[in-house]
Amino acid sequence: MRKKTTLAAAVLTAAALTLAACSGGGDGDNGDGGEGGDPTEAVLSFYTDKAAWEPSFDDMNAASEGTTATLDFTGYSDPTAYDAFIKQSFRTDDKPDLFTWHTGDSLAQLVEEGLVAPTTEIWDAAIANGDVTEELAENYTFEGEQYCVPLNVVYWVMYYNKAVFAENGIEVPTTWEEFMAAGQTLVDNGQVPLHQMNIIFEFVWFQAILAGLDPDAYNGLSDGSVSYTDPVVVEAMNIWHDMQSDGFFIDPGVTTDPQTLLQTGEVAMAYFGTFFTGQLTDLGMVSDTDYGIFTLPNVSADLDDTSVVVETGPLCVGAGSANEAAALDYSAWWMGVDAQSAWSESRGDVSFNPGATVTDTALATVTEQVNGDGFLQLRRYLEATPTPIYTVASEQFGAFVTNNGDPMAVLEAIQAEADAYWAEN
Amino acid sequence: MSLPTARQADLVPQQRRPKNQFWLSSIGFVAPGVLLVAVVLYLPFLWTTYISFTEYNGLGDPEFIGIENYRDMFADPAFLNSVLNTLYWVVGTIALPVGLGLLIAVLSHGLPNATLFRLPFLIPYALSGVAVGVIWSFVLQTNGALSQALEFFNLPGSELRWLLDAPLNTFVMIGASTWQGAGVNALLFGIGLQSIPKEPLEAARVDGASGFTLFRTMTWPMLAPLTTVVVGLSIVGSLKTFDIIWGMTKGGPGRVSETLALTMYKETFVNNAYGLGAAVALFLTVVTVLASILYLRRQLAHSRSI
Repeated sequence: MRKKTTLAAAVLTAAALTLAACSGGGDGDNGDGGEGGDPTEAVLSFYTDKAAWEPSFDDMNAASEGTTATLDFTGYSDPTAYDAFIKQSFRTDDKPDLFTWHTGDSLAQLVEEGLVAPTTEIWDAAIANGDVTEELAENYTFEGEQYCVPLNVVYWVMYYNKAVFAENGIEVPTTWEEFMAAGQTLVDNGQVPLHQMNIIFEFVWFQAILAGLDPDAYNGLSDGSVSYTDPVVVEAMNIWHDMQSDGFFIDPGVTTDPQTLLQTGEVAMAYFGTFFTGQLTDLGMVSDTDYGIFTLPNVSADLDDTSVVVETGPLCVGAGSANEAAALDYSAWWMGVDAQSAWSESRGDVSFNPGATVTDTALATVTEQVNGDGFLQLRRYLEATPTPIYTVASEQFGAFVTNNGDPMAVLEAIQAEADAYWAEN
Repeated sequence: MSLPTARQADLVPQQRRPKNQFWLSSIGFVAPGVLLVAVVLYLPFLWTTYISFTEYNGLGDPEFIGIENYRDMFADPAFLNSVLNTLYWVVGTIALPVGLGLLIAVLSHGLPNATLFRLPFLIPYALSGVAVGVIWSFVLQTNGALSQALEFFNLPGSELRWLLDAPLNTFVMIGASTWQGAGVNALLFGIGLQSIPKEPLEAARVDGASGFTLFRTMTWPMLAPLTTVVVGLSIVGSLKTFDIIWGMTKGGPGRVSETLALTMYKETFVNNAYGLGAAVALFLTVVTVLASILYLRRQLAHSRSI
């Protein structure tokens, strides 16, 4: 009898511990916004790698109150850990209702696995309503269907320190020749003209020069129709090489934040996305007073339109998530003028919605410019390039920024990876 | 019916113990622990091994591709450079943090208030590796504190690009690791020195041994068991070095300062090549286990022969 009791106790203990270990933390709270529920009552599980943006998402909860769902915010500050978390979450029953992600290959992978809900109807309505351009939709289109909606949009432009420009008698350049002459004047006066980094954004000057030299070639790299060793790409690299040789860029070993370098005048200009405005504002710099913004002139004077690189990040609905219908309703609201004006005001940033009010006048001007005639929007290199090629390219460009080595060797190394990739895809 | 005695319950060790009446229930008690170890240690290892033979981006199902990841891994010059950097770290970590730790311990041994002497060396150990990386990158960046100091004192080296040029960047990062790790090794060696019996040392002194001769012939051999542990831990620690490098160069510029741990992380989580990352992880595991076994076997055999 005692033996049986002991055995039963042991087995029960083991079973209880195993069950406790295996039971998930999910409380089964699906909110009220499931299929057919009232979306305004729903609380969406929302995940993002932009942890520092929590106050802005709080503002959006205030803006969406009574209109659509609210967000239960979980922010990650490490993008790599965040990506791994989102991927793992799709292997569980606790899929995120709404989450931020990346366009390009990363989004294509989610679409291919059927992990994100289609948003074609939302896009159709938004385009018809003038809330978003058709060009932007290309970033979200896979085999004719749209997935996710834009969280934000970023235009890559040139920020400059107004005091440094004034001290050196430099006007905002409107042609590449004027831009190079301004750079040379700064170099001659012992001033470092430009910022650049050998990590994270090591590719941006390749992007800027090639997009302004031959936008068709730039686009062709992303679908394999153009080789990295084609003459026009080599020319772009040589221009970059010469600029580095001529002392146009700060030493990449200086790891001080770029916004600080621009504020202190250690660099006169920094080519960045419009998110840079927020970083300068955080330092107390005033737009149009302490710093200005201009679009980088094309390298080739023969082009009709000025190339501007655009980056956009998606806001996605998890397919089969507990509050999928409410999350789609929220996505539709997010595209509208009210939501985008609230977002732009909270972030101090531009919006993809041309009807949204952008409070910063410099950013408002840039938005109007690049969405008007005479400008050609191109996808950012990171999102436009297949991941395996980008991986090699970022390593090669990082080394090139550091050592200003042989441009051809860099391009050949990237093309070797591109050849391998396009042979299989 | 009386309670079983220890002998009746077979709690006393015997040869070829027959199954007692509690064997089934004992399995029940052991099972949770066994399950825990199996789930959190053995299963991940087996899963990683399997993934290393697949192509997998973290989504969907892994696709079996045989040894292709291993072939790619050994054909990649960046991986081979990563192996070389890891080797620098192993040698550097044994030579510097361990050597310096021993020196600090020996010099401070027997001093009044030796703890006060050792304490400053121990403080950096309380910092995380990433924090150490951030602090030292301020010092070592181009035109950073070190370059400015060298320039101010008209010393050579101010023009060096400490974190940009390989293998210089690996060497200075080993230096940062030494700054952090020497103190704890000094502490361990200090404990070892205190545990050495005084009598043999006194006898050696009477026989005329002193200074370095005393250390070489008496103290060092008697420290051997502790040295084995310290060096063993250093080998394992250096093979999986990650945080300081991540904080200082992220393995760059390009991939020139990567170690195997960084290569594993970047392939898996940054490049989403989970299969290749798993192959690097398995390679690193095999190297670490082999190095540990070979070192400990040799050292323990040597200790037994003394």
